[in-house]
Amino acid sequence: MADKRKSLIKIKPKRYKDGEIVKVSFMVMHPMATGMTKDKKTKKIIPAKYINSVKFIYNGKEITNMTVWESLSVNPVFTTYMKINGKGKLTVKYTDNTGESHEKTKKIKPRG
Amino acid sequence: MQRRDFFKKLGTAAAITAVIPAMSFAGDAKPKGPNAMDFDTAVKTITGGKTPKSSKKVKLKVPEIAENGAVVPVTVTVDSPMTASNYVKAIHILDGKNSNARCIDVFLTPANGKAMFSTRIKLGGTQNVTALVELSNGEFLMASQSVKVTIGGCG
Amino acid sequence: MKTGIKIALSVAMLASLSFGSDQFAMSDADRAMYAEMSENNPADIMVADGEELLSYMGGDEGFAKYLGVSEDDLPAYIAGFPRYIKKFDMVVGLDQVIQAMMADGGHKPLKLKSGNMFSLLAYVKSIANGEKINIDVNANPQMKAAYALGEKTFMTRRGGRGLSCNSCHSADIVGRVLRTQPLPDLGAKGAKAAATWPAYRMTKSSLRTMQRRFQGCMKNALLKVIPIGSKQMVALEVYLTQKAKGSEINIPGLKR
Ligand code: HEC
Repeated sequence: MADKRKSLIKIKPKRYKDGEIVKVSFMVMHPMATGMTKDKKTKKIIPAKYINSVKFIYNGKEITNMTVWESLSVNPVFTTYMKINGKGKLTVKYTDNTGESHEKTKKIKPRG
Repeated sequence: MQRRDFFKKLGTAAAITAVIPAMSFAGDAKPKGPNAMDFDTAVKTITGGKTPKSSKKVKLKVPEIAENGAVVPVTVTVDSPMTASNYVKAIHILDGKNSNARCIDVFLTPANGKAMFSTRIKLGGTQNVTALVELSNGEFLMASQSVKVTIGGCG
Repeated sequence: MKTGIKIALSVAMLASLSFGSDQFAMSDADRAMYAEMSENNPADIMVADGEELLSYMGGDEGFAKYLGVSEDDLPAYIAGFPRYIKKFDMVVGLDQVIQAMMADGGHKPLKLKSGNMFSLLAYVKSIANGEKINIDVNANPQMKAAYALGEKTFMTRRGGRGLSCNSCHSADIVGRVLRTQPLPDLGAKGAKAAATWPAYRMTKSSLRTMQRRFQGCMKNALLKVIPIGSKQMVALEVYLTQKAKGSEINIPGLKR
């Protein structure tokens, strides 16, 4: 795939107030190849390609930082909580073991 | 009936289900991955030799029987106020038998508000899943549960 | 276990599989956990993608306009597909409407079996999330005919093994277990299958549509694979959507 890897940040509930603790999920289409499986057709080992780092950054401050290993499922999902503390943006950055990196941003808009 | 007999009886009829893993660990020598590390070593590496305590404060939610070893849901919740002086510093998820026992190391901060982490992991067979938790005071807590996997997650 | 070897599978043999059912029965807590997983369904990414693709063609508003309904009525209208549409003089699925809209709008239409079309279809059907399936198979002679053809296609034994869809999905075999998978009763009243496709298939790590799922069963059971969007395929979808009438739509689904 030449285009950008597809990903999504989801916040639950969709409407939230300042100070509220919300559930945040980051999902990304990624093969998470362990380097231990064989291609069914060619019988060749599929080289390892897995996300090795994910960071949740809220208005410039790193709130959650993850070291990721190859055991997570294909198209992984990362869910945690965060406390809403003013409007701005949440950025999720990831890198994988092959050096690929990507980021996704979502606006944070507390109401009331 | 024993599970093995059941599969034998089923025989190759399983081919109709489209869920055949590309490869099976059963019977094969366990392949070593790029980050191979066994469970005990992983725990030691994380705790720096401290002994983690089993604790009811750590709630580990995994299925008893995984529908599909390739996608096993895991949720870890820790009872913690998540204040600047008392919070969960890290949640580590480990498995018992995969080539690399480490699945993910999640470093939290008080800005998370609640100590919870949820994801999905691959399990190449029946094994224990463990949540190893580091508190801000340096203590380590843990909880484990066995997950029965009927179809491997290595496909 | 050796893969790829296919052997004759008779209904009698399927019956023998029921021995396994106790052994692999899932607890209610496990079931709840898997249900909870759909809260963060990887296919949400594709649905969001489908929304973006539709936005290039006028979004929800453009789609409603193309169908000749108001945006307020759109969700309930979508919950009634497949439908007979006069403009096409055919019973069509939502994907075919999207395809026609692309062509009419001067875009190169996507193939029905393409990933982008699956994303579009999933998004469009998700507009009806929370609505109950309200297909009307007696609305007109065309829908009546489609339902009848769907039923016939479902019941007819075909292929090398002489199996029909009904061989595996009838009331008397349902609940039996085929290698940890309980055979779903698609024909039962209120069966929800049609309300939860398009869905993320964990075994395929991708978004699949209902017609694509039918093809999967056809392939596995050695029935000749019918093309997506063909008269028979749409008829099968009509037949199974009628079985799920009244079920609440919840897209994307999450399937093993
Ligand atoms: C050999 C047995 C067999 C035959 C024949 C068969 N199926 Fe299936 N079907 C299954 C099994 C097993 C599953 C469940 C798979 C799973 O859980 O992963 C399934 C699942 C499905 C589903 C998804 C159900 C859900 O929960 O959403 C649909 C739809 C379906 N089949 C339709 C059909 C149609 C249409 C035909 C005829 C063309 C057909 N099947 C023929 C065995 C069969």
